[in-house]
Amino acid sequence: MDFFDALHISSTGLSAQRLRMNLISANLANINTTRTKGGGPYRRKDPVFAAQAHEASFREMLGNRRKELLKEVAVVGIVNDSRAPIKKYDPMHPDADGYGYVSMPNINLMEEMVNMISATRSYEASVTAIQSAKDMALKALEIGQ
Amino acid sequence: MNEVTFTKGLESLNGSSLDTAAKTKKTQNPESFGNMLTRSLNDVNQLKLEADEAVANLAAGKQKDIHATMIALEKADVAFQLLMQIRNKIISAYETVMRMQA
Repeated sequence: MDFFDALHISSTGLSAQRLRMNLISANLANINTTRTKGGGPYRRKDPVFAAQAHEASFREMLGNRRKELLKEVAVVGIVNDSRAPIKKYDPMHPDADGYGYVSMPNINLMEEMVNMISATRSYEASVTAIQSAKDMALKALEIGQ
Repeated sequence: MNEVTFTKGLESLNGSSLDTAAKTKKTQNPESFGNMLTRSLNDVNQLKLEADEAVANLAAGKQKDIHATMIALEKADVAFQLLMQIRNKIISAYETVMRMQA
């Protein structure tokens, strides 16, 4: 049913933005983290989103080729930021190297805040899309009253 | 609340009294209105069961997505409202037929 397709696609958008929000939380929480399992400071993480065809049954695909143009969003990966860590002079730090420098994560607080606002607004947009789809369906039900 | 119980009544409505009329129609139109109604009732019931499950999973902590639960609830809500509109139409048609005697 087309109405449910709209809901489903918006739902993938909500999931994607929620994951992005989780990654931003992780980046903010680890802004001073100098130790990780793989060694070295924490590296900033970014999600990679891809548009993929909305899943539909084969019969629906045959009957309605427009379905192929309906794309939902999928998270295809999480990448580490490639920026080099910031070197901070702090000889007393347990993770300091021989010269007294500590590698700190290269995370910009402003940048994360802006990303957070963007994620929140995108989430709100998907919620609004869901509400509008529902309002349209309910309006259609008012026909004939 | 696991099963919509009045599907049984619909089948009997579909069965005996309108039998001859239905049979002549069946040659061109394989699905009768009663069957279609029963099927859509089952669909609505299925959506409602899914919504129930989604709420239970959210409460139990199995499902972490709040929005998935809300969307399941919305689907069930809209489907049920569509069902109610169909029911209202059927009832008003029935009442119109009943007023014909006067």
